[in-house]
This record gives sequence, C-alpha cells and structure tokens, in this order.
Amino acid sequence: MSDLLALWLPLSVAGLAVLVLLADVLAPPVAVVARGRALGWLTALGLAGIFVATFFVDKTTRTAAHGVYEASAWSLFLQRIFLVAGVLGVLGGLDDVAARTPRRQAEHWITLLFSLLGMVILPGARDLILVVVAFELMSIPLYVLAAWAKNDAKPEERGRAGEAAIKLYLVGATSTAVTLFGLGLLTGMQGTTRLADLGVMPLYPLSSLGLVMLLAGLGYKIGMVPFHMWVPDTYQGASTPFVAFLSVAPKAAGISVVATIFAFGMRDHVAHWVPAVSLFALLSMAVGNVLALPQTDLRRLLGYSGIAQMGYVLVALATAESFGTGMVLFFLVAYLFTNLGAFLVVHAAGHSFESLSGLFRRAPGLALALLCFLLSLAGIPFVVGFWAKLYVFLAAWRAGLVGLVVAGVVLAVLGLFYYLRVLRAAYMTDEGDLPAPKLGVPLKLSIAVCALAVAGFGLWPGPLVDEAARASSALLQHAPETAQLARR
Amino acid sequence: MTSHLLSIIVGAPALAAVVVMLLPRTHRLGIRIASLVGATISLAGSVFALVSYDGHKGGLQRVEDFPLVPSLGIHLRFAQDGWAGPLLLLTGIIIFAGVLASWTLQKREQEYFVLLLVLVAGVFGVFVSQDVLVFFLFYEIAVLPMYLLIGIWGSSHEVPARGPFRVVWNLFKVGDKQYAAMKLTLMLLVGSAAILVAIFVMYAQAHTSSFDLGDLAAAHYSRRVQIAVFPLLWLGFGTLAGVFPFHTWSPDGHASAPTAVSMLHAGVLMKLGAFGVMRVGMVLLPEGARAWVPIVGAVAAINVLYGAFCAMSQTDLKYIVAYSSVSHMGVVMLGAATLTPAGWNGAVFQMVAHGIMTGLFFALVGLVYERAHTRAIRKMGGFGRVMPGVAAFFTLACLSSLGLPGTAGFVSEFVVFLGAWKSGHYIWTLAGVLGAFVTAIYVLRATRAIFWGPGPTEDFHELKDARRTEWGSLVLLGAGLVVLGVWPRLLLDTIDIGSARYLPMVLAMGGPS
Repeated sequence: MSDLLALWLPLSVAGLAVLVLLADVLAPPVAVVARGRALGWLTALGLAGIFVATFFVDKTTRTAAHGVYEASAWSLFLQRIFLVAGVLGVLGGLDDVAARTPRRQAEHWITLLFSLLGMVILPGARDLILVVVAFELMSIPLYVLAAWAKNDAKPEERGRAGEAAIKLYLVGATSTAVTLFGLGLLTGMQGTTRLADLGVMPLYPLSSLGLVMLLAGLGYKIGMVPFHMWVPDTYQGASTPFVAFLSVAPKAAGISVVATIFAFGMRDHVAHWVPAVSLFALLSMAVGNVLALPQTDLRRLLGYSGIAQMGYVLVALATAESFGTGMVLFFLVAYLFTNLGAFLVVHAAGHSFESLSGLFRRAPGLALALLCFLLSLAGIPFVVGFWAKLYVFLAAWRAGLVGLVVAGVVLAVLGLFYYLRVLRAAYMTDEGDLPAPKLGVPLKLSIAVCALAVAGFGLWPGPLVDEAARASSALLQHAPETAQLARR
Repeated sequence: MTSHLLSIIVGAPALAAVVVMLLPRTHRLGIRIASLVGATISLAGSVFALVSYDGHKGGLQRVEDFPLVPSLGIHLRFAQDGWAGPLLLLTGIIIFAGVLASWTLQKREQEYFVLLLVLVAGVFGVFVSQDVLVFFLFYEIAVLPMYLLIGIWGSSHEVPARGPFRVVWNLFKVGDKQYAAMKLTLMLLVGSAAILVAIFVMYAQAHTSSFDLGDLAAAHYSRRVQIAVFPLLWLGFGTLAGVFPFHTWSPDGHASAPTAVSMLHAGVLMKLGAFGVMRVGMVLLPEGARAWVPIVGAVAAINVLYGAFCAMSQTDLKYIVAYSSVSHMGVVMLGAATLTPAGWNGAVFQMVAHGIMTGLFFALVGLVYERAHTRAIRKMGGFGRVMPGVAAFFTLACLSSLGLPGTAGFVSEFVVFLGAWKSGHYIWTLAGVLGAFVTAIYVLRATRAIFWGPGPTEDFHELKDARRTEWGSLVLLGAGLVVLGVWPRLLLDTIDIGSARYLPMVLAMGGPS
C-alpha cells in the first residue's frame, strides 16, 4: 500500500496513457478526426488534473520497492515541471498534429504520454537499473515523435523530419550505449546499483572513467557541448510544437538524472566530477552563445541558445551543494516557460527573421509574448530568466566558482546581441505585407500561460525559489544510514 | 497615504503604462492623457516628497519595505534620503516635459508611451531603492527600453566617414539608428555585468544575509577587495555616466534618439550612472574610493575638456548637445571625486541643473528639427526671426550651459570648482574652468549660427514657433533653470543633508581590515 502511495504520480500518468489508448482503440470508427482532437484535449486536461492533484497530496517522503523509488519534495518538484511541460506541449501542438496527421492524432498523444511516464519516474529513481529503464522509456517515444510527420508533411519538409529523427535516434542510441558502458564500469567496480551506496566506497580509477562516460552519455541528451551536434538539426527538422516540448522536458529530465547521480550519489567524491561539469558548463555557455550569433533560422538560433542555457544549469550543478542544486530546479522552471513559449511563438509566426517582420502590427499580443520570452532568455530584470541567472551566479559565487560566474556574465551579455536581433525583426522591421498569423485557441492558451508565468515569477520569484531550495534539500540533506555509517 | 508616497511615485508611471497598454490602439488622445496623468502624479508626488522631507531629522525617511525574496534577504525597500528628493523632482519634471514634447508623435504611439513610462518608473525606482539588488533591477529597467525607443522611433542620419577607420564606419553603418541602439545597449550592459559581479563580491565578502545598502556599508571589506572592486563599480556605472573613454555610446545614442528619449536619457539616465558611482561605489567601498579618486578626478577632468572640444568640432546640432552632456557629466564626476562637501553638493546639484538644461536643449532641438527637417548647423541661420520663443529659450539654455551667474549652471560649476580647489587638486579646477570657457565658445557660436544673424533662407521662411503643449515643456524647464540659479538653496539645503550623511562614511578611516 505504501508503495502505491509513493508511486501514485507515475501510476496516474500511466493510467491516463492507458485511458487514452483504450478510448482510441475501442471507440467505433466514426468521426475519427474530431475524436483525435478530443483525445488531445483529454490528454492535456488529464495532465493538468494530475498537476493540480500534486498540491493536495501528502508530501512526506516515501519509498517504494525497497528504496528503488523515492517520492520526495525533490521528485515532486521535477514531476510538476514535466507535467506542466506536458500540458503546454500538448496544447501547443494540438492544432498542428490535427493538421498534419488528422487520422492518427491519438497515437501521437499516447506516445507522448509514455515518454512523460518515463520522465516522471526519473527524479524518484534511486537505483541505476530503474534510471536506465525509465530513461529509455522516455527516449524511445521521442525518436518516434520526431519522425512523426515524415510521410504526412509537405514535400519540402519531408526530408527534414526524417533527418531530424535519424539524428536524434542515432545520437540517442550512441549515448545510451556510452551511458550503459559507463554504468557497467561504475556498478561493477563499486559493487552496487543503489545510488545511496554508490559513493560509500572510495572510487577506483575505472569508476572514475565510468563516471566520465556516464556524464558524456547524459550530456548528449541535455545537449551539452561537445555532445550538442544533434540539437540544431533536430530542432529545425522536427515539427515545431513538438520541439517546444523536446527542448524543455527531456532536458530537464536529463539534468535531474545528472543531479541525482552526481550531486546525490557522488556527494562524497566531489573532486571527481565537479571539474568535468565546470568545464562542460563553460564550453556549453561559450559555444552555445557564440554559435547562436550567425544563425538565420530561429529554430536553430533557439537551439544554440538552449545549449547555452544548459551551460548555466551546469554552472549551478557544479556548486555541488544544496542551494546550488535548488537553483538548478529554479532555472529549469524558468527555462520551461521561456523556451517552450518562445518555440510556440516561432511556430505561430514563422521560422525565419523575415517572417517576423511587422509582427508588432499584425499580432501585437504575440509580439508582446515574444518580447517577454526573449527578455527572459537574455536574463533581463523583472522577467523570470533574470532571477534564474542571478541565483545561479549567486550560488556559484558562494561555492567559489568565480571564473565560471565571470565567464557566464560576460557571455550573457554576448547572448543579448542575438536575442535583440530577433526582437529587432519583430519590432523594428515592417517589410512586405505578410498576413496576420492565425492561432487556434489551445495554442493561444499555451502561449498566454507561458507569458504570464514568465512575467509573474519575474515579479515575485520568492515562493518559487524557496520551494526549489526545499526540494533540493530533500534530496541532499537526507543522508542514508549506510553513508553515515561509512563516514564514521 | 504619505507613508506610501515613494511607492506612488514609482508606481504611477508603471500603472499608467499598463493602462496605456490596455487602451485600444486607435484611442490616441486617451493614450496621451493616461501617460500625462501618470507623469503628473509622479511630478506632484516628487514635489511633495521634496517639500515635506524633514531636514532637521535627516537620514532615511518614508521607509517602505516589501520582502521580495526573504530567504535571500532581497527586499523591495524604498526610502528617501537628502539626495533622493531633488533627483526625484528632476525626473518628475523631465518626464512631464517629455510626455508633452511627445504629444505630436505620429508613429506607434501606444508602444512608445508604454516604454517611456516603464523607463521612467525604473529611474524613480533607482533613486529611492535601499537594496542594492533592487537598485540594480530598476537600473536595468531604466536602461533597456532605450534599445527599442531608439531603434524604432529614432532617426538615422548621414555621418560622413572620414579618417583611417572609414571602412569600419561604413561596415557598422555609423549614424544608423539601429547601430546607435545596439551600441548603446551592449555598452551599457557590459557595464551592468561589471556592476553585477561587484555586487556579488560585496555580498560574499560582507557575510551578511541581506543586500541592504546600509548593511553592506556597515560591513568591513579588506583593502585589497575594495581596491579591486571599486573600478568595477566606477566603470560599470560610469559607462552610463559617460566616463571617458566609455562615453562613445552617448553621442550616437542621443543623436539618434527621438526628442523625449534624448531628454530623458541625457537629462536623467546619465545621472543614474553618476548617482550609482557615488551612492553605491564610494559609500560602500570607502577605502577603494579614496585610493581611486585621483584617477577618477583626472578622468573626469579629461571628460570635461574632451567633451567640450569634441562639441566644438561638430556640425550636427544634436551631436553638439550630446557632446556637451559628456562634458557636463565630467563636472559631476569631478565633484564626486573631490570628496569634499562642496564637491559632492555641487555634483548632485549639477545632476539636477544639467538634467533640466539638457532636457530643454533636446526639447528645442527636437522642435527645430521637426520644423526645419535638418540638424546641420550650416544650413540654418536667422531662425530667431521666425521662431522667437524657441530662440529665447535656446539662448537661456546656452547661458546656463556656459555657467552664467543667475542660472543653475553657474551654481553647480562654481560649487564643484570650489570643492576641487579645497581638495587640493588645483589642476582639476583649472581643467574645469577651461572646459567652461570652451563651452562658452561652442554654445555661443551655435546659437549665433542658428538663431541670430541675417534672416533665414527661402526654405525656412515658413517655420512656426512653439505650439501649445510645447510651450508647456519649454516654460517648465526654462523656469527651473532660472529659479535654481537665483535660489539654489531650494535644493542645496536638502542635498547637503544627503552629502553630510554619506561623505563621513567615505572619509572615515577604514575599520579593522
């Protein structure tokens, strides 16, 4: 019974997936298109319902399956991120999926739900076996979704979707192999798969090698430099509403795994992994920001900007202490609303700088939302992105990572340049006579929620910061008995 | 209500911005009236705040405190000290005049007024914030809307590419408004980055759990830290104050910006930079300040002279005024660097005096440009016959600019030079006086060339004098110059309370370090 209580959230996501699946399979074959749409709404509402329910459940830390899964404030915080990303991603893509594949809509949502199921298990997983299984459960549906419009799309996009899926798949499969090899070395040498016990023994050289491979494998997933090559190509090729989801939720999941394995599992061997994470953080910030400068496709630009943003997250992770890890969570929330919103605006308005021309006149609301997201990505005050960067830098400064902070601040100013270019396209050019973009209700709703969240948390970040700090202390200050014994 | 006066002053423009945003785009009069109401509330509030500041009690008054992120000690903490009152008043006057000056704007008015009001809310916020992080937040808010304001409503113009760098000039399109906007934003944000790093260092070294300016000032920083961090704040804030050689954004930016934005930017925003150097840099890091003031003052002296000589060689009216701002901001920094009561009073008084004067200048330049469609001085001449009102106010601004007794400019320059003399840096005084002399040359030459002399050529016979709302802004600013020149005690007494509060903090010998 207590196992069920601990696992209520993954179980309800699984239940929702099964419900949508059954509703699609068992219904008579009439009004297929309308039913697909309805199931899309059902998916969004179901996820929203689970999200609301998270505020009314008992939040005490519980474990399931003999400690393999642990529901705590940490896992709950991340699960809320995934759920919100799911809701906004589904709403944002509802019309797009209905237009591209009108007769196979439900399949799309079911696949997405299974990917979400993998995600919501990840932050609670305390055993490497479960981590790997949940990670694959998350990843494999994403490969499918990236290729979704391969045959249904307009002829000029057909090749792109295939390319996007192949790139994502090959890179994903390779990274899984690398991750597994690293895990094999690590568990083999340390003699356990339990995260809590992993760092009890001193690390062998081979374990360190395993750690590096693990970081590299996970780094593929979060688009960390130098494992970032797939990001811009996939973002450009796959359908944009799906990319909006892809660019936030799986990255947040990847980061949560890195945090649980390194900040929690390897908390006694900080010297073994902090230098590597710091290096990757610096590389990601530098390469992402610099390569975003010359981009002409907004999806690629946002892709590189996302790489840079992940660099900032890694800076917070490199603090290897509770406050910094909490700010990882806070940054992820900021990134969720900002990046998802930005991609949805790009989906609605167009992929090139030219397509934004005159947006302030054609769609003032959309232009205002874009302004919010760009300012937030650039880290300008009174939108949430500023606080995210500020807290990350503050945490890093406290932890003594002075060089990273200075580099981050300088690169953030560099980043401002390309965000301003997008802003200029939307607000300062008015060439050609483009029609006003047409947005469906769900897409509007999704963008509005993102913009309100970006502005709202920007004005009053306090409660969210406190919640994030509490969540990370639930992970890091709950030292298992075995570790304490070993330390004595 | 008075206890929330500062929030009202800061909040009124922000609220007006929201109202303007919600109005339909076609409701052009409503947009203007909502903006004017917001500006009026702030102006009235700042007048009241200045008048009702209790001079005998001194110190921080009307303290308001809203916890923003309590767990990290970030508070939205407003309070009024001796300096805040005059600077709030300046901001109130400039935004009021700025809204009036923008009355005839024809292009995308809604967004324009929203950005203008947001910007000014940021300025008000900086002057009353007592939490360094909130101070920084408002500072950013005041700086960033400039990008859009210049990029959209600004004006591009030909800058003849000359000299060995003309290839680079053509490459970057110098003179283009987009170039000016991007240059301004990026330069100021590099400055902000330096400020942010400095704030982190102070916060980490102070070992406090708050960002309160008072707490940070009470903490002891080691001498090494102070000497290392002060330049970050000096140059970070100084970029906005136009400190040489980081002033280059200013002429381009001010020349390209629309009238009201130039008024606000040269009139108020550059003061934020100088205010930041004094209020944050010098007060929080006294030892660093004492070690660096010889250089700060020397650079300020260069500013005064360099700005004046640059202004002398310009042929574009807006560039003349823009370079004169660089020169006059040098006077502010010079006063700050003296670390004497007279110098500090003069610095803050000069912020107000120059703010009003340059506001008047840009309002007039805007008027002339709107009618004559040129800013090249060579093409103008004898405008005084067709627009006598504009000519009279322009001459008044010029006289204040060169420091004629009886105008506000005289008071501030006199007091600053007095402070420089007392501090023993005689050469600063010399540079300042020389700068004032050069200023006299270029402003008088410009006035004569534009307004006096033989009547205007055929093209300019039809020029009209100022109109209804334009008179409003001209009279308000012009009266400010004369009143402050004749009766400087109106502000100097209050300013002195502020200086008397902060200067001892800087001069006191450092604690155990």
